[in-house]
Amino acid sequence: MTPIKRIVICGGGLAAHMTAAALARQLPPTMQITWVNGPDSRDADLFFGGLAPPSAYAFNLSAAVAEPRLIVDTDTTFSWGTQFVDWGADRRSWVQCFHLTLPIVGGVLFHHHLWRQGITELEPFLLPAIAARQGVFAHPVAQGPKLLARSEYGYQFNSYSYKSPFEAAARALRVKIVTADVANIECREGAISSLHLSDGQVLEADLFVDCTGPDARLLSRLGVDVTPGRRLRAAWSHRTVERIGAPCRTLTAREFGWQCDTPLQRSVARLTVYSPEQESEALAAHGEPAQHSGEIMLGRRNVAWTGNCVAIGHAAEILEPLTQAPMLMLQRGIERLLTLIPCSVDMSVERREFNRQSGEDYTHAEIFNRALFEIPLPANTPYWRAAREEPAHEKLAQKIAQFESRGLLVAFDLEPFHNEDWTILHHGVGRRPARFDRMADRIPEAETRAMVGRVPHDIAEFVKTMPAHHDYMQNLIRYLKQKKL
Amino acid sequence: MQIERICILGGGTAGWMTAAALSHKFKGLPISIRLIESDEIGIVGVGEATLPHIRNFNSALNISEPALMKATEATIKLGIEFRDWGRIGDRYIHPFGDFGPNVNGVPFYQFWLRLRELGDKSRLDDYSLGVMLAEMGRFMSPATDPSRVESTFRYAYQFDATRYARFLRKYSEDNGVVRTEGKVVEAKQNAASGFIESVKLDRGESIEADLFVDCSGFRGLLIEQQLKTGYEDWSQWLPCDRAVAIPCETRGPLMPLTRATARAAGWQWRIPLQHRVGNGYVYCSDYISDDEATQFILDNLEGPALASPNKLRFKTGRRRLSWNKNVVAIGLSSGFLEPLESTSIHLIQEGITELIQLFPDKGFAQSDADEYNRRMALNYERVRDFLLLHYVANQRDDSPLWSHFRNLTLPESLQEKIDAWMTRGYIIKYEFGVFLPPSWIAVMLGQNLRPRGYDPRADAAPREILERNAAAILQAVRVAAQNAPDHAAYIRQIGAASDTAPLVANA
Repeated sequence: MTPIKRIVICGGGLAAHMTAAALARQLPPTMQITWVNGPDSRDADLFFGGLAPPSAYAFNLSAAVAEPRLIVDTDTTFSWGTQFVDWGADRRSWVQCFHLTLPIVGGVLFHHHLWRQGITELEPFLLPAIAARQGVFAHPVAQGPKLLARSEYGYQFNSYSYKSPFEAAARALRVKIVTADVANIECREGAISSLHLSDGQVLEADLFVDCTGPDARLLSRLGVDVTPGRRLRAAWSHRTVERIGAPCRTLTAREFGWQCDTPLQRSVARLTVYSPEQESEALAAHGEPAQHSGEIMLGRRNVAWTGNCVAIGHAAEILEPLTQAPMLMLQRGIERLLTLIPCSVDMSVERREFNRQSGEDYTHAEIFNRALFEIPLPANTPYWRAAREEPAHEKLAQKIAQFESRGLLVAFDLEPFHNEDWTILHHGVGRRPARFDRMADRIPEAETRAMVGRVPHDIAEFVKTMPAHHDYMQNLIRYLKQKKL
Repeated sequence: MQIERICILGGGTAGWMTAAALSHKFKGLPISIRLIESDEIGIVGVGEATLPHIRNFNSALNISEPALMKATEATIKLGIEFRDWGRIGDRYIHPFGDFGPNVNGVPFYQFWLRLRELGDKSRLDDYSLGVMLAEMGRFMSPATDPSRVESTFRYAYQFDATRYARFLRKYSEDNGVVRTEGKVVEAKQNAASGFIESVKLDRGESIEADLFVDCSGFRGLLIEQQLKTGYEDWSQWLPCDRAVAIPCETRGPLMPLTRATARAAGWQWRIPLQHRVGNGYVYCSDYISDDEATQFILDNLEGPALASPNKLRFKTGRRRLSWNKNVVAIGLSSGFLEPLESTSIHLIQEGITELIQLFPDKGFAQSDADEYNRRMALNYERVRDFLLLHYVANQRDDSPLWSHFRNLTLPESLQEKIDAWMTRGYIIKYEFGVFLPPSWIAVMLGQNLRPRGYDPRADAAPREILERNAAAILQAVRVAAQNAPDHAAYIRQIGAASDTAPLVANA
């Protein structure tokens, strides 16, 4: 058995930075890691959407990037999720927030008790959603206030800034960084034998990690194709502000696509995503000159790993940054690679399992985004038509059928989005079940009424005591700088 | 329109567990529950050993543990001891619990694989408190604080399934379930929909209901005889098709373990209860005659037999649909998997839990039945793969049955699992299914499937640190096990002893 000794990571974008740090932090010193930090894929990185899920905290830590570093060294802010505005023909608005398991009362999922009372909006029962609308933030702690403890938070970021501490971590962790571009890729028998770099170097390795973005330069050289999906363009700009805005993204549906404002530490970033056919309207609506712009095609490579080359990030799959799906997939891709780093140069078992998991993960994340379009469309324009016309996986039909019929959540193995994400999304788009769980009737009517009256009141009162996101962050940054953390 | 009347057919373990759970969950709602059973029809009561999940079932019903244990002659089960499965003379325990803690997201056994390569002689079992307690015949209630080593194992029961059914009958009747003595001789179906409208009893009475739960055992009175649902035959993978069961007197100390010993034409179970030991031989009729099998088990009892041998026939597999029209099959009517991993009662429990989650109204949405069938199919298939693993991972060449298994083409899902394990000790995980990674690890290692490699991340820490950590875990497990009381003493201490027979008998 010949062990793996040399790993080469290629790419200059967010995916490459995170991969390099995570691998360096967790793999044994016997594995030599070289990172070809090529041209940055800033334009494609727009499509990560600037929103990291709650699991980012632990992920980053396992890549030697602790939260204090991220807060002090980058313009990252905290996030309760995404506020959707004017979504669908009914112009719905809700906060797609992060939340731990909702309470189960009398053996029955929480939302059934609401429906029994004729309440169809979940938001007043979700602390992070209310806090997001009020622009307030505090860290949820398990031992802290009970109301807050079930909330979860992620990060809002500008990928160019967010990735910098990962580079610092990789550098400190013995990664050999080569600043060059890949000039030529030599292949033999379905595998990469060497990379010729723009500076004349030739690199050989046992495993190549392709983080080169949508072009997947290594993987596509080995003949791996994409399943074609919708084409989207994005325009991005940011404007400086005095105060840090709300801890949530605000994503507004437009005829040409959507527009998302993300408050960062010193600015608000605006991302407009649109169908190429409606560029002039989209750019006019963007309102500011675009500082960056990009075009991508949604979808995934037919396999993420072939021969000795594995793709991470956009090189493997591209999801629309409507939700945290793109960052979830990126983190999970890296974690999957770590659990399946081959123990020998014959990596057939690892490859097969990686591809199986990556295919399932993509399907499960894609249907979450796709569920946002299973609604009466707001406009008969190219963006909305194309989104709806994309075939949906049958698992989505199962999930929707069960929710609409009886508010039940159908789940599959190890999905990236949790039942709470789905519950919030179903309510958000205005999906109504035909009946509620009968067992909810076992709780006396008055008791349920008191409960559904009390919770929103308590949440609203608690949120009033929380600090503004701006103040909380300023104090935290000051504290961290004093402590030199 | 809400369901108002539920009729349960059959009063074995499945029937009374269903009645107990439904009557408890629907208490206070306008739903009447009737259960039809006949004293003339015997119950199979195969499952005498259970899985830890049964404790959730009982506690959801507010059943007191000592009362239940006392009423069912129950003992504690920490796992199953497998003898002669890999090779003759081998033995291992499949515990309900972990093998050491995760370190930086890497499971402990990966570090153990590395240590072993470095020449370390410790068994992975030595890092499992569940195994250590089982081997020492000791038990304590698991701790709830996850940082303590005492929290790293779970437990189930070994009990008399007939008494369990009786216990739940009382519970159900107290909850308003009406029991009707009689045999179903006829069922009336709606001409248009094919739904069952009523069943007629041998004494002439006709019972109508909106929902029928078929707990009639192998026959599948409604699900098969009436609705012709069909059966998926899995005997090409699990060919054992008969069993002979017989209780005997106990000899030796009371162990918190079920035992499964591989035999030439199948395997033999030993389940210690408080008042007796349950024994049985599960075999494949291609390789041994019924008489030979009966003689074999009689020759292999530790004490005098307490009843005459009870013979069972079955075909491993699953009903094509567990839920068809307005009939939901729970228990043996829904499928049969041999009790090698004590899954019979667990599959009943799953069937009930899913029925409650997907409880229909009179409209009987097809989506409910579809989802129920999808979930149950997954449960059965995943148990099947796990059972099959025990058979195929053998190195025996003493009889045709074992050669048959060594040459079997496996379901793809299982083959991939074994390949991933053999390459690097990787466990392909799932979320929905009863057996978690530690169970797969226990059986694969126990049956001599030694991975060729291990997770490279286990090399990240220096050897000395790894050795020091491993030694600390060993020590903590040993101390915790030594501090636990003896199994029989524990049963007495919590007031669960039935005192119908001495807890520890001598030859």
